[in-house]
Amino acid sequence: MTGCAGDQLVMLNCEDQLLDVVAALDIRDFLMASSGNDEECPLDVALVEGAVLTRRDEEKLNRVRERAKLLVAVGTCAVWGGVAAMDGGRDGDRARLLAETYGPTGAAYDSTPARALHEVVKVDFNISGCPIEKEQFISALSHLLNGNAPLFPQYPVCTECKMRENNCLLIEKGEVCCGPLTVAGCNARCPALNIACVGCRGPADDANTTSALAMFGEKGIPRDDIVRKLRTFAPMEGPGV
Amino acid sequence: MKILKLPKNKLDFFASVVQQFGEVHAPVEQNGQFAFQPVRRWSEVRLDYNRTILPPKKYFLPPRETLLQYAGDAGYVPVMEGLDKKIVLFGVHACDVYGLNLLDLVFAGAYRDPYYQARRRNAAIIGIECTPDEHCFCRSMRADFVEQGFDLFLFDIGDYYFTLVGTALGDDMVLATGPLFEPVSHQDVEEYKRRSARKREAFRLHVEIRDLPEIFEMEYSSDIWQGLGERCLSCGSCSMVCPTCYCYEVADEVQLGSREGPRARTWDSCLFATHALVAGGENFRKTRPSRVKFRFYHKQRGFVAEYGRPGCVGCGRCIVACPVKIDVVEVLNQLRSVQNVASR
Ligand code: SF4
Ligand code: SF4
Ligand code: SF4
Ligand code: SF4
Repeated sequence: MTGCAGDQLVMLNCEDQLLDVVAALDIRDFLMASSGNDEECPLDVALVEGAVLTRRDEEKLNRVRERAKLLVAVGTCAVWGGVAAMDGGRDGDRARLLAETYGPTGAAYDSTPARALHEVVKVDFNISGCPIEKEQFISALSHLLNGNAPLFPQYPVCTECKMRENNCLLIEKGEVCCGPLTVAGCNARCPALNIACVGCRGPADDANTTSALAMFGEKGIPRDDIVRKLRTFAPMEGPGV
Repeated sequence: MKILKLPKNKLDFFASVVQQFGEVHAPVEQNGQFAFQPVRRWSEVRLDYNRTILPPKKYFLPPRETLLQYAGDAGYVPVMEGLDKKIVLFGVHACDVYGLNLLDLVFAGAYRDPYYQARRRNAAIIGIECTPDEHCFCRSMRADFVEQGFDLFLFDIGDYYFTLVGTALGDDMVLATGPLFEPVSHQDVEEYKRRSARKREAFRLHVEIRDLPEIFEMEYSSDIWQGLGERCLSCGSCSMVCPTCYCYEVADEVQLGSREGPRARTWDSCLFATHALVAGGENFRKTRPSRVKFRFYHKQRGFVAEYGRPGCVGCGRCIVACPVKIDVVEVLNQLRSVQNVASR
Protein backbone atom coordinates (compact mmCIF):
# COMPACT_ATOMS: atom_id res chain seq x y z
CA MET A 1 0.00 0.00 0.00
CA THR A 2 1.19 3.56 0.53
CA GLY A 3 4.17 3.88 2.82
CA CYS A 4 7.87 4.59 2.93
CA ALA A 5 8.89 0.98 2.22
CA GLY A 6 10.90 1.01 5.46
CA ASP A 7 9.50 -2.33 6.53
CA GLN A 8 10.48 -3.94 3.24
CA LEU A 9 13.95 -2.56 3.81
CA VAL A 10 14.04 -4.14 7.25
CA MET A 11 13.09 -7.47 5.68
CA LEU A 12 15.86 -7.15 3.13
CA ASN A 13 18.25 -6.05 5.85
CA CYS A 14 17.91 -9.35 7.70
CA GLU A 15 21.24 -10.22 6.15
CA ASP A 16 22.19 -13.02 8.50
CA GLN A 17 18.89 -14.79 7.94
CA LEU A 18 18.21 -13.87 4.34
CA LEU A 19 19.39 -17.18 2.91
CA ASP A 20 17.24 -19.04 5.43
CA VAL A 21 14.28 -16.86 4.51
CA VAL A 22 14.71 -17.60 0.81
CA ALA A 23 15.11 -21.30 1.55
CA ALA A 24 12.03 -21.45 3.75
CA LEU A 25 9.73 -19.36 1.58
CA ASP A 26 8.67 -19.47 -2.02
CA ILE A 27 8.52 -15.75 -2.72
CA ARG A 28 6.04 -15.05 -5.51
CA ASP A 29 5.32 -11.36 -5.43
CA PHE A 30 7.73 -8.92 -3.81
CA LEU A 31 8.42 -5.94 -6.04
CA MET A 32 11.33 -4.56 -4.06
CA ALA A 33 13.13 -7.90 -3.95
CA SER A 34 12.48 -9.47 -7.31
CA SER A 35 11.70 -8.56 -10.91
CA GLY A 36 9.68 -11.59 -11.97
CA ASN A 37 6.52 -11.29 -9.93
CA ASP A 38 3.22 -13.08 -10.24
CA GLU A 39 0.50 -10.65 -9.28
CA GLU A 40 -2.36 -13.12 -9.55
CA CYS A 41 -1.27 -16.40 -7.92
CA PRO A 42 -2.88 -17.61 -4.70
CA LEU A 43 -0.75 -17.00 -1.60
CA ASP A 44 -0.36 -18.77 1.73
CA VAL A 45 0.78 -15.63 3.43
CA ALA A 46 0.56 -12.03 2.29
CA LEU A 47 2.73 -9.52 4.13
CA VAL A 48 1.26 -6.11 3.49
CA GLU A 49 3.02 -2.85 4.24
CA GLY A 50 1.62 0.69 4.17
CA ALA A 51 -1.72 2.32 4.77
CA VAL A 52 -4.67 2.51 2.40
CA LEU A 53 -4.53 6.02 0.94
CA THR A 54 -6.06 5.68 -2.49
CA ARG A 55 -8.89 3.85 -4.22
CA ARG A 56 -6.19 1.93 -6.05
CA ASP A 57 -4.70 0.82 -2.70
CA GLU A 58 -8.11 -0.35 -1.62
CA GLU A 59 -8.73 -2.39 -4.76
CA LYS A 60 -5.30 -3.92 -4.56
CA LEU A 61 -5.72 -4.79 -0.89
CA ASN A 62 -9.06 -6.44 -1.54
CA ARG A 63 -7.44 -8.47 -4.29
CA VAL A 64 -4.56 -9.51 -2.00
CA ARG A 65 -7.06 -10.55 0.63
CA GLU A 66 -8.84 -12.78 -1.90
CA ARG A 67 -5.53 -14.36 -2.91
CA ALA A 68 -4.12 -14.96 0.55
CA LYS A 69 -4.90 -17.52 3.23
CA LEU A 70 -3.26 -15.31 5.83
CA LEU A 71 -2.90 -11.58 5.65
CA VAL A 72 -0.32 -10.00 7.91
CA ALA A 73 -0.20 -6.23 8.42
CA VAL A 74 3.44 -5.17 8.52
CA GLY A 75 4.49 -1.89 10.08
CA THR A 76 2.66 0.80 12.01
CA CYS A 77 1.05 2.26 8.86
CA ALA A 78 -0.54 -1.06 7.98
CA VAL A 79 -1.51 -1.84 11.56
CA TRP A 80 -2.66 1.58 12.74
CA GLY A 81 -2.69 3.94 9.78
CA GLY A 82 0.65 5.44 10.77
CA VAL A 83 1.76 8.97 10.06
CA ALA A 84 -0.54 9.18 7.04
CA ALA A 85 -3.53 8.76 9.34
CA MET A 86 -2.01 11.18 11.84
CA ASP A 87 -4.55 12.75 14.10
CA GLY A 88 -7.29 10.71 12.43
CA GLY A 89 -7.84 13.42 9.83
CA ARG A 90 -8.97 15.78 12.55
CA ASP A 91 -6.81 18.58 11.20
CA GLY A 92 -9.24 19.28 8.41
CA ASP A 93 -11.24 17.71 5.67
CA ARG A 94 -9.67 15.88 2.74
CA ALA A 95 -10.66 18.37 0.06
CA ARG A 96 -8.99 21.26 1.88
CA LEU A 97 -5.84 19.23 2.61
CA LEU A 98 -5.64 18.20 -1.05
CA ALA A 99 -6.08 21.76 -2.25
CA GLU A 100 -3.46 23.02 0.17
CA THR A 101 -0.97 20.36 -0.86
CA TYR A 102 -1.49 19.99 -4.60
CA GLY A 103 -3.51 23.00 -5.68
CA PRO A 104 -6.53 22.35 -7.94
CA THR A 105 -6.78 18.58 -8.53
CA GLY A 106 -10.19 17.71 -9.96
CA ALA A 107 -12.53 14.93 -8.90
CA ALA A 108 -10.54 12.14 -10.52
CA TYR A 109 -7.62 12.67 -8.22
CA ASP A 110 -7.09 9.42 -6.32
CA SER A 111 -6.81 10.24 -2.65
CA THR A 112 -8.84 8.90 0.25
CA PRO A 113 -8.53 9.44 4.02
CA ALA A 114 -5.78 7.17 5.30
CA ARG A 115 -6.92 3.87 6.73
CA ALA A 116 -5.20 0.97 8.40
CA LEU A 117 -5.59 -2.39 6.69
CA HIS A 118 -8.05 -3.67 9.27
CA GLU A 119 -10.44 -0.89 8.33
CA VAL A 120 -10.66 -2.32 4.83
CA VAL A 121 -10.15 -6.08 5.07
CA LYS A 122 -9.82 -8.80 7.67
CA VAL A 123 -6.27 -8.88 9.03
CA ASP A 124 -5.02 -12.10 10.57
CA PHE A 125 -1.96 -10.81 12.31
CA ASN A 126 -0.05 -7.62 13.04
CA ILE A 127 3.65 -6.86 13.14
CA SER A 128 3.83 -3.29 14.35
CA GLY A 129 6.76 -0.87 14.32
CA CYS A 130 8.06 2.12 12.40
CA PRO A 131 9.87 0.33 11.01
CA ILE A 132 9.27 -3.23 12.24
CA GLU A 133 11.90 -5.07 14.27
CA LYS A 134 13.97 -7.66 12.43
CA GLU A 135 13.62 -10.10 15.29
CA GLN A 136 9.84 -9.87 15.32
CA PHE A 137 9.69 -10.28 11.57
CA ILE A 138 11.85 -13.41 11.56
CA SER A 139 10.06 -14.76 14.60
CA ALA A 140 6.68 -14.19 12.95
CA LEU A 141 7.76 -16.01 9.79
CA SER A 142 9.22 -18.89 11.77
CA HIS A 143 6.08 -19.38 13.81
CA LEU A 144 3.72 -18.92 10.86
CA LEU A 145 5.63 -21.57 8.89
CA ASN A 146 4.86 -24.01 11.71
CA GLY A 147 1.24 -22.98 11.73
CA ASN A 148 1.48 -21.03 14.98
CA ALA A 149 0.60 -17.46 15.73
CA PRO A 150 3.68 -15.57 16.86
CA LEU A 151 3.68 -14.35 20.45
CA PHE A 152 4.70 -10.73 20.82
CA PRO A 153 4.67 -8.73 24.03
CA GLN A 154 1.49 -6.75 24.57
CA TYR A 155 2.86 -4.72 27.45
CA PRO A 156 4.27 -1.19 27.14
CA VAL A 157 7.79 0.01 26.30
CA CYS A 158 8.39 0.87 30.01
CA THR A 159 8.67 -2.81 30.84
CA GLU A 160 11.55 -3.35 28.43
CA CYS A 161 12.99 0.00 29.46
CA LYS A 162 13.18 -1.16 33.06
CA MET A 163 14.56 -4.55 32.03
CA ARG A 164 17.45 -2.62 30.48
CA GLU A 165 17.78 -0.54 33.63
CA ASN A 166 17.51 2.75 31.75
CA ASN A 167 17.04 6.05 33.50
CA CYS A 168 13.41 7.16 33.24
CA LEU A 169 13.06 10.30 31.12
CA LEU A 170 9.46 10.81 32.15
CA ILE A 171 9.96 10.59 35.88
CA GLU A 172 13.48 11.98 36.23
CA LYS A 173 13.33 14.71 33.61
CA GLY A 174 9.61 15.29 33.13
CA GLU A 175 9.87 14.60 29.41
CA VAL A 176 6.85 13.54 27.41
CA CYS A 177 7.72 9.89 26.98
CA CYS A 178 5.06 7.75 25.30
CA GLY A 179 6.61 4.56 26.71
CA PRO A 180 3.79 3.80 29.15
CA LEU A 181 1.24 3.76 26.30
CA THR A 182 3.29 2.24 23.50
CA VAL A 183 3.59 -1.45 22.77
CA ALA A 184 6.97 -3.02 23.55
CA GLY A 185 9.09 -5.01 21.14
CA CYS A 186 11.81 -2.49 20.30
CA ASN A 187 13.65 -3.18 23.56
CA ALA A 188 13.11 0.47 24.52
CA ARG A 189 15.47 1.59 21.80
CA CYS A 190 14.96 5.33 22.24
CA PRO A 191 15.03 5.72 26.05
CA ALA A 192 18.18 3.56 26.01
CA LEU A 193 19.69 6.38 23.91
CA ASN A 194 18.30 9.05 26.19
CA ILE A 195 15.51 9.99 23.78
CA ALA A 196 11.89 9.91 24.86
CA CYS A 197 9.67 7.37 23.12
CA VAL A 198 7.44 8.94 20.47
CA GLY A 199 5.20 5.92 20.25
CA CYS A 200 6.23 4.74 16.81
CA ARG A 201 5.11 1.17 17.46
CA GLY A 202 1.55 2.18 18.20
CA PRO A 203 -0.45 1.78 21.41
CA ALA A 204 -0.10 -1.12 23.82
CA ASP A 205 -3.11 -3.40 23.94
CA ASP A 206 -4.20 -2.18 27.30
CA ALA A 207 -3.02 1.45 27.18
CA ASN A 208 -4.68 3.57 29.87
CA THR A 209 -4.83 6.80 27.90
CA THR A 210 -7.22 8.55 30.25
CA SER A 211 -4.91 8.19 33.20
CA ALA A 212 -1.82 9.04 31.14
CA LEU A 213 -3.43 12.24 29.89
CA ALA A 214 -4.22 13.22 33.46
CA MET A 215 -0.63 12.45 34.48
CA PHE A 216 0.84 14.61 31.71
CA GLY A 217 -1.68 17.30 32.59
CA GLU A 218 -0.40 17.34 36.17
CA LYS A 219 3.07 17.88 34.78
CA GLY A 220 1.76 21.01 33.11
CA ILE A 221 1.86 19.73 29.56
CA PRO A 222 -1.13 20.99 27.54
CA ARG A 223 -3.60 18.26 26.73
CA ASP A 224 -3.64 19.08 23.02
CA ASP A 225 0.12 18.65 22.75
CA ILE A 226 -0.12 15.20 24.25
CA VAL A 227 -3.09 14.12 22.21
CA ARG A 228 -1.38 15.27 19.03
CA LYS A 229 1.78 13.45 19.98
CA LEU A 230 -0.09 10.26 20.75
CA ARG A 231 -1.91 10.45 17.44
CA THR A 232 1.24 10.86 15.38
CA PHE A 233 1.43 7.16 14.63
CA ALA A 234 -2.02 5.95 15.45
CA PRO A 235 -5.51 7.31 15.79
CA MET A 236 -7.14 6.21 19.03
CA GLU A 237 -9.13 3.25 17.70
CA GLY A 238 -7.28 -0.03 17.76
CA PRO A 239 -7.00 -2.71 15.10
CA GLY A 240 -8.40 -5.28 17.48
CA VAL A 241 -6.11 -8.11 16.35
CA MET B 1 29.02 -14.79 64.34
CA LYS B 2 32.49 -13.43 63.92
CA ILE B 3 32.74 -9.63 64.15
CA LEU B 4 35.77 -7.70 62.95
CA LYS B 5 36.58 -4.25 61.65
CA LEU B 6 38.07 -3.06 58.40
CA PRO B 7 39.94 0.26 58.15
CA LYS B 8 38.01 2.48 55.76
CA ASN B 9 41.11 3.72 54.00
CA LYS B 10 41.93 0.12 53.05
CA LEU B 11 38.61 -0.50 51.37
CA ASP B 12 40.00 -0.33 47.85
CA PHE B 13 42.70 -2.80 48.79
CA PHE B 14 40.07 -5.09 50.24
CA ALA B 15 38.04 -4.77 47.02
CA SER B 16 41.06 -5.72 44.96
CA VAL B 17 41.55 -8.82 47.12
CA VAL B 18 37.95 -9.99 46.78
CA GLN B 19 38.36 -9.99 43.02
CA GLN B 20 39.90 -13.44 43.38
CA PHE B 21 36.47 -14.64 44.55
CA GLY B 22 34.71 -13.49 41.39
CA GLU B 23 33.99 -10.56 39.12
CA VAL B 24 33.17 -7.65 41.39
CA HIS B 25 29.88 -5.83 40.78
CA ALA B 26 28.96 -2.74 42.76
CA PRO B 27 26.66 0.29 42.57
CA VAL B 28 27.86 3.00 40.19
CA GLU B 29 26.18 6.23 39.22
CA GLN B 30 24.11 6.35 36.06
CA ASN B 31 22.80 9.83 35.24
CA GLY B 32 21.86 10.59 38.81
CA GLN B 33 20.52 7.12 39.57
CA PHE B 34 22.46 4.01 40.50
CA ALA B 35 22.92 0.57 39.03
CA PHE B 36 24.91 -2.53 39.92
CA GLN B 37 27.60 -2.83 37.26
CA PRO B 38 30.87 -4.68 36.85
CA VAL B 39 33.49 -2.50 38.51
CA ARG B 40 36.13 -1.10 36.17
CA ARG B 41 37.68 1.36 38.61
CA TRP B 42 37.06 1.25 42.33
CA SER B 43 36.85 5.06 42.37
CA GLU B 44 33.56 4.97 40.43
CA VAL B 45 31.87 2.78 43.03
CA ARG B 46 29.26 4.68 45.02
CA LEU B 47 28.74 2.94 48.34
CA ASP B 48 26.70 5.97 49.43
CA TYR B 49 23.98 5.14 46.86
CA ASN B 50 20.33 5.25 47.88
CA ARG B 51 18.93 2.47 45.68
CA THR B 52 19.78 0.91 42.35
CA ILE B 53 17.23 1.08 39.52
CA LEU B 54 17.06 -2.72 39.41
CA PRO B 55 17.65 -4.81 42.52
CA PRO B 56 20.28 -7.60 42.60
CA LYS B 57 17.57 -10.03 41.50
CA LYS B 58 18.75 -9.26 37.96
CA TYR B 59 21.81 -11.41 38.63
CA PHE B 60 19.86 -14.46 39.69
CA LEU B 61 16.68 -14.15 37.67
CA PRO B 62 17.78 -12.12 34.65
CA PRO B 63 15.13 -10.18 32.68
CA ARG B 64 15.58 -12.61 29.80
CA GLU B 65 17.30 -15.96 29.66
CA THR B 66 17.34 -19.10 27.57
CA LEU B 67 16.38 -22.13 29.64
CA LEU B 68 16.81 -24.89 27.10
CA GLN B 69 17.04 -25.80 23.46
CA TYR B 70 14.44 -28.10 22.05
CA ALA B 71 14.84 -30.18 18.92
CA GLY B 72 12.92 -33.20 17.59
CA ASP B 73 15.15 -36.15 18.38
CA ALA B 74 17.57 -34.46 20.73
CA GLY B 75 14.64 -33.54 22.94
CA TYR B 76 15.30 -30.86 25.50
CA VAL B 77 18.82 -29.77 26.25
CA PRO B 78 19.17 -27.41 29.22
CA VAL B 79 21.31 -24.35 28.56
CA MET B 80 23.57 -24.05 31.57
CA GLU B 81 26.38 -21.97 30.10
CA GLY B 82 27.52 -19.08 32.20
CA LEU B 83 25.65 -20.23 35.29
CA ASP B 84 28.90 -21.10 37.05
CA LYS B 85 30.40 -17.66 36.64
CA LYS B 86 31.64 -16.37 39.98
CA ILE B 87 30.59 -12.89 40.96
CA VAL B 88 30.92 -10.77 44.08
CA LEU B 89 28.11 -8.29 44.73
CA PHE B 90 29.74 -5.54 46.72
CA GLY B 91 27.58 -3.08 48.64
CA VAL B 92 24.17 -4.73 48.85
CA HIS B 93 21.71 -3.04 51.22
CA ALA B 94 19.96 -5.06 53.92
CA CYS B 95 16.56 -4.78 52.19
CA ASP B 96 18.01 -6.27 49.02
CA VAL B 97 19.71 -9.10 50.90
CA TYR B 98 16.33 -9.72 52.51
CA GLY B 99 14.77 -9.63 49.05
CA LEU B 100 17.14 -12.35 47.88
CA ASN B 101 16.33 -14.38 50.97
CA LEU B 102 12.66 -14.14 49.99
CA LEU B 103 13.43 -15.20 46.41
CA ASP B 104 15.25 -18.20 47.90
CA LEU B 105 12.00 -19.25 49.53
CA VAL B 106 10.39 -19.25 46.10
CA PHE B 107 13.15 -20.62 43.88
CA ALA B 108 15.04 -22.81 46.30
CA GLY B 109 12.14 -24.10 48.37
CA ALA B 110 9.47 -26.57 47.31
CA TYR B 111 10.02 -25.78 43.62
CA ARG B 112 13.70 -25.76 42.93
CA ASP B 113 14.93 -23.70 40.05
CA PRO B 114 18.33 -24.99 38.93
CA TYR B 115 19.17 -21.80 37.02
CA TYR B 116 18.46 -19.53 39.96
CA GLN B 117 20.17 -21.85 42.39
CA ALA B 118 23.32 -22.20 40.33
CA ARG B 119 23.70 -18.44 40.04
CA ARG B 120 23.01 -18.01 43.71
CA ARG B 121 25.67 -20.58 44.61
CA ASN B 122 28.24 -18.71 42.55
CA ALA B 123 27.66 -15.26 43.93
CA ALA B 124 29.23 -13.82 47.05
CA ILE B 125 27.40 -11.01 48.80
CA ILE B 126 29.01 -8.19 50.70
CA GLY B 127 26.36 -6.11 52.38
CA ILE B 128 26.61 -2.50 53.43
CA GLU B 129 24.66 -0.41 55.90
CA CYS B 130 22.70 2.54 54.48
CA THR B 131 20.78 5.65 55.46
CA PRO B 132 17.04 5.66 54.73
CA ASP B 133 15.74 8.32 52.34
CA GLU B 134 12.20 9.61 51.87
CA HIS B 135 11.03 6.42 50.13
CA CYS B 136 12.55 3.78 52.41
CA PHE B 137 10.36 1.78 54.79
CA CYS B 138 12.37 -1.42 55.15
CA ARG B 139 12.22 -1.12 58.93
CA SER B 140 8.43 -1.44 58.84
CA MET B 141 8.88 -4.56 56.73
CA ARG B 142 11.47 -5.98 59.18
CA ALA B 143 14.07 -5.86 56.40
CA ASP B 144 16.34 -3.14 57.77
CA PHE B 145 18.64 -5.74 59.26
CA VAL B 146 19.49 -9.23 58.05
CA GLU B 147 20.89 -12.12 60.04
CA GLN B 148 21.73 -14.19 56.99
CA GLY B 149 22.05 -14.09 53.26
CA PHE B 150 25.41 -12.31 53.16
CA ASP B 151 29.01 -13.40 53.33
CA LEU B 152 30.18 -10.15 54.88
CA PHE B 153 28.18 -7.14 56.03
CA LEU B 154 29.83 -3.76 56.57
CA PHE B 155 28.62 -1.06 58.95
CA ASP B 156 30.17 2.39 58.88
CA ILE B 157 31.47 3.30 62.35
CA GLY B 158 33.66 6.26 61.41
CA ASP B 159 37.16 5.26 60.47
CA TYR B 160 36.28 1.60 60.21
CA TYR B 161 33.69 -0.73 58.82
CA PHE B 162 32.28 -2.87 61.57
CA THR B 163 32.11 -6.21 59.76
CA LEU B 164 29.82 -9.17 60.34
CA VAL B 165 31.22 -12.39 58.91
CA GLY B 166 28.20 -14.37 57.76
CA THR B 167 29.65 -17.45 56.09
CA ALA B 168 32.77 -19.54 55.64
CA LEU B 169 33.24 -17.82 52.30
CA GLY B 170 33.16 -14.49 54.08
CA ASP B 171 35.78 -15.80 56.43
CA ASP B 172 37.91 -16.87 53.47
CA MET B 173 37.72 -13.33 52.15
CA VAL B 174 38.87 -11.99 55.47
CA LEU B 175 41.76 -14.46 55.59
CA ALA B 176 42.75 -13.66 52.00
CA THR B 177 43.44 -10.09 53.04
CA GLY B 178 46.10 -11.11 55.52
CA PRO B 179 46.12 -8.96 58.65
CA LEU B 180 43.81 -6.28 57.22
CA PHE B 181 40.84 -6.90 59.52
CA GLU B 182 41.22 -6.03 63.19
CA PRO B 183 39.39 -7.19 66.28
CA VAL B 184 36.66 -4.85 67.52
CA SER B 185 36.92 -2.99 70.79
CA HIS B 186 34.23 -2.18 73.30
CA GLN B 187 34.25 1.36 71.93
CA ASP B 188 33.54 0.10 68.43
CA VAL B 189 30.58 -1.85 69.72
CA GLU B 190 29.26 1.26 71.44
CA GLU B 191 29.69 3.25 68.24
CA TYR B 192 27.88 0.55 66.26
CA LYS B 193 24.97 0.66 68.72
CA ARG B 194 24.85 4.44 68.63
CA ARG B 195 24.67 4.51 64.83
CA SER B 196 22.19 1.69 64.71
CA ALA B 197 19.87 3.63 67.03
CA ARG B 198 20.33 6.77 64.97
CA LYS B 199 19.38 4.88 61.84
CA ARG B 200 16.18 3.64 63.44
CA GLU B 201 15.22 7.25 64.12
CA ALA B 202 15.93 8.27 60.55
CA PHE B 203 13.00 6.46 58.97
CA ARG B 204 10.37 8.86 57.73
CA LEU B 205 7.90 6.28 56.42
CA HIS B 206 6.10 3.84 58.64
CA VAL B 207 3.68 1.04 58.00
CA GLU B 208 2.22 -1.22 60.65
CA ILE B 209 2.22 -4.76 59.31
CA ARG B 210 0.66 -6.58 62.24
CA ASP B 211 -2.82 -7.82 61.26
CA LEU B 212 -2.33 -6.30 57.81
CA PRO B 213 -3.30 -9.56 56.07
CA GLU B 214 -6.51 -9.57 58.09
CA ILE B 215 -7.22 -5.97 57.16
CA PHE B 216 -6.67 -6.90 53.53
CA GLU B 217 -9.20 -9.66 53.98
CA MET B 218 -11.73 -7.20 55.39
CA GLU B 219 -11.10 -4.56 52.74
CA TYR B 220 -11.44 -6.83 49.75
CA SER B 221 -14.26 -4.69 48.38
CA SER B 222 -12.75 -1.35 49.32
CA ASP B 223 -13.14 1.51 46.83
CA ILE B 224 -9.39 2.00 47.02
CA TRP B 225 -8.84 -0.73 44.42
CA GLN B 226 -11.14 0.85 41.88
CA GLY B 227 -9.37 4.18 42.16
CA LEU B 228 -5.90 2.63 41.88
CA GLY B 229 -7.02 0.59 38.90
CA GLU B 230 -8.19 3.68 37.09
CA ARG B 231 -4.83 5.34 37.66
CA CYS B 232 -2.49 2.44 36.91
CA LEU B 233 -1.03 2.43 33.40
CA SER B 234 -0.13 -1.29 33.50
CA CYS B 235 3.34 -0.15 32.51
CA GLY B 236 4.94 -2.95 34.52
CA SER B 237 7.64 -0.73 36.00
CA CYS B 238 6.79 -1.53 39.62
CA SER B 239 7.15 -5.26 39.03
CA MET B 240 10.36 -5.00 37.05
CA VAL B 241 12.10 -2.97 39.76
CA CYS B 242 10.74 -4.94 42.71
CA PRO B 243 13.26 -7.21 44.46
CA THR B 244 10.52 -9.69 45.32
CA CYS B 245 8.46 -9.72 42.10
CA TYR B 246 9.38 -13.02 40.53
CA CYS B 247 6.68 -13.69 37.95
CA TYR B 248 7.99 -14.82 34.63
CA GLU B 249 6.72 -16.05 31.34
CA VAL B 250 8.11 -18.98 29.40
CA ALA B 251 7.78 -19.12 25.63
CA ASP B 252 9.30 -21.12 22.81
CA GLU B 253 11.05 -19.37 20.00
CA VAL B 254 11.57 -21.32 16.82
CA GLN B 255 14.39 -21.22 14.34
CA LEU B 256 13.29 -20.25 10.86
CA GLY B 257 12.34 -23.25 8.73
CA SER B 258 12.73 -25.76 11.54
CA ARG B 259 10.87 -27.21 14.47
CA GLU B 260 13.57 -26.48 16.97
CA GLY B 261 14.71 -23.48 18.94
CA PRO B 262 15.24 -21.97 22.36
CA ARG B 263 12.80 -21.84 25.24
CA ALA B 264 13.12 -18.47 26.88
CA ARG B 265 12.09 -17.05 30.21
CA THR B 266 11.17 -13.36 30.51
CA TRP B 267 10.05 -11.24 33.45
CA ASP B 268 6.30 -10.82 33.61
CA SER B 269 3.92 -8.80 35.74
CA CYS B 270 0.50 -9.38 37.23
CA LEU B 271 -0.40 -5.85 36.12
CA PHE B 272 -0.51 -6.98 32.49
CA ALA B 273 -3.82 -7.88 30.92
CA THR B 274 -2.20 -11.03 29.52
CA HIS B 275 -0.96 -12.28 32.90
CA ALA B 276 -4.08 -14.23 33.83
CA LEU B 277 -5.20 -14.91 30.27
CA VAL B 278 -5.50 -18.61 29.53
CA ALA B 279 -6.20 -20.76 26.47
CA GLY B 280 -9.74 -20.29 25.27
CA GLY B 281 -9.62 -16.58 25.95
CA GLU B 282 -10.69 -16.70 29.60
CA ASN B 283 -9.04 -14.03 31.74
CA PHE B 284 -9.14 -14.37 35.50
CA ARG B 285 -8.17 -10.76 36.08
CA LYS B 286 -9.63 -8.90 33.18
CA THR B 287 -10.01 -5.51 34.81
CA ARG B 288 -7.17 -3.25 35.83
CA PRO B 289 -8.46 -2.71 39.39
CA SER B 290 -8.49 -6.46 39.94
CA ARG B 291 -4.89 -6.66 38.79
CA VAL B 292 -3.59 -3.79 40.95
CA LYS B 293 -5.43 -5.32 43.85
CA PHE B 294 -3.85 -8.67 43.13
CA ARG B 295 -0.34 -7.24 43.29
CA PHE B 296 -1.01 -5.82 46.74
CA TYR B 297 -2.78 -8.95 47.93
CA HIS B 298 -0.03 -11.23 46.79
CA LYS B 299 2.61 -9.25 48.63
CA GLN B 300 0.78 -8.38 51.81
CA ARG B 301 -1.53 -11.34 52.25
CA GLY B 302 -0.80 -14.30 49.95
CA PHE B 303 2.92 -14.24 50.62
CA VAL B 304 2.33 -14.01 54.36
CA ALA B 305 0.04 -17.04 54.24
CA GLU B 306 2.62 -19.00 52.28
CA TYR B 307 5.90 -17.89 53.86
CA GLY B 308 4.97 -16.15 57.09
CA ARG B 309 6.06 -12.64 56.13
CA PRO B 310 5.10 -10.00 53.56
CA GLY B 311 6.56 -10.21 50.07
CA CYS B 312 7.78 -6.65 50.26
CA VAL B 313 11.06 -5.41 51.70
CA GLY B 314 10.24 -1.71 51.80
CA CYS B 315 12.93 -0.67 49.34
CA GLY B 316 10.75 2.08 47.87
CA ARG B 317 11.65 1.25 44.27
CA CYS B 318 8.05 0.89 43.11
CA ILE B 319 7.25 4.28 44.61
CA VAL B 320 10.07 5.90 42.66
CA ALA B 321 9.30 4.05 39.42
CA CYS B 322 5.54 4.57 39.14
CA PRO B 323 4.65 7.24 36.56
CA VAL B 324 1.28 7.89 38.21
CA LYS B 325 2.64 7.94 41.75
CA ILE B 326 0.95 4.87 43.11
CA ASP B 327 2.62 4.66 46.49
CA VAL B 328 2.57 1.40 48.42
CA VAL B 329 3.00 3.10 51.79
CA GLU B 330 0.14 5.46 51.08
CA VAL B 331 -2.08 2.58 49.98
CA LEU B 332 -1.32 0.44 53.03
CA ASN B 333 -1.85 3.33 55.40
CA GLN B 334 -5.07 4.33 53.67
CA LEU B 335 -6.33 0.80 53.87
CA ARG B 336 -5.56 0.69 57.57
CA SER B 337 -7.04 4.05 58.43
CA VAL B 338 -10.59 4.38 59.64
CA GLN B 339 -12.80 5.88 56.99
CA ASN B 340 -15.99 7.80 57.40
CA VAL B 341 -18.72 5.24 56.78
CA ALA B 342 -21.09 7.82 55.34
CA SER B 343 -18.58 8.75 52.67
CA ARG B 344 -18.09 5.18 51.42
S1 SF4 C 1 11.84 6.42 29.95
FE1 SF4 C 1 9.82 6.25 29.01
S2 SF4 C 1 9.71 4.11 28.40
FE2 SF4 C 1 11.35 4.25 29.90
S3 SF4 C 1 10.36 3.77 31.88
FE3 SF4 C 1 10.36 6.02 31.62
S4 SF4 C 1 8.35 6.44 30.69
FE4 SF4 C 1 8.73 4.27 30.41
S1 SF4 D 1 11.16 3.55 22.05
FE1 SF4 D 1 9.22 4.30 21.21
S2 SF4 D 1 9.76 5.61 19.48
FE2 SF4 D 1 11.58 4.40 19.99
S3 SF4 D 1 11.47 2.59 18.63
FE3 SF4 D 1 10.46 2.04 20.56
S4 SF4 D 1 8.29 2.51 20.22
FE4 SF4 D 1 9.46 3.60 18.64
S1 SF4 E 1 6.62 -3.70 46.65
FE1 SF4 E 1 7.82 -1.81 46.27
S2 SF4 E 1 8.75 -1.28 48.24
FE2 SF4 E 1 8.03 -3.41 48.38
S3 SF4 E 1 9.83 -4.62 47.81
FE3 SF4 E 1 8.65 -4.30 45.93
S4 SF4 E 1 9.53 -2.47 44.98
FE4 SF4 E 1 10.25 -2.52 47.13
S1 SF4 F 1 4.41 1.36 38.04
FE1 SF4 F 1 2.46 2.31 38.61
S2 SF4 F 1 1.39 2.62 36.64
FE2 SF4 F 1 3.06 1.17 36.26
S3 SF4 F 1 2.09 -0.85 36.51
FE3 SF4 F 1 2.98 -0.28 38.51
S4 SF4 F 1 1.29 0.68 39.63
FE4 SF4 F 1 0.71 0.65 37.47
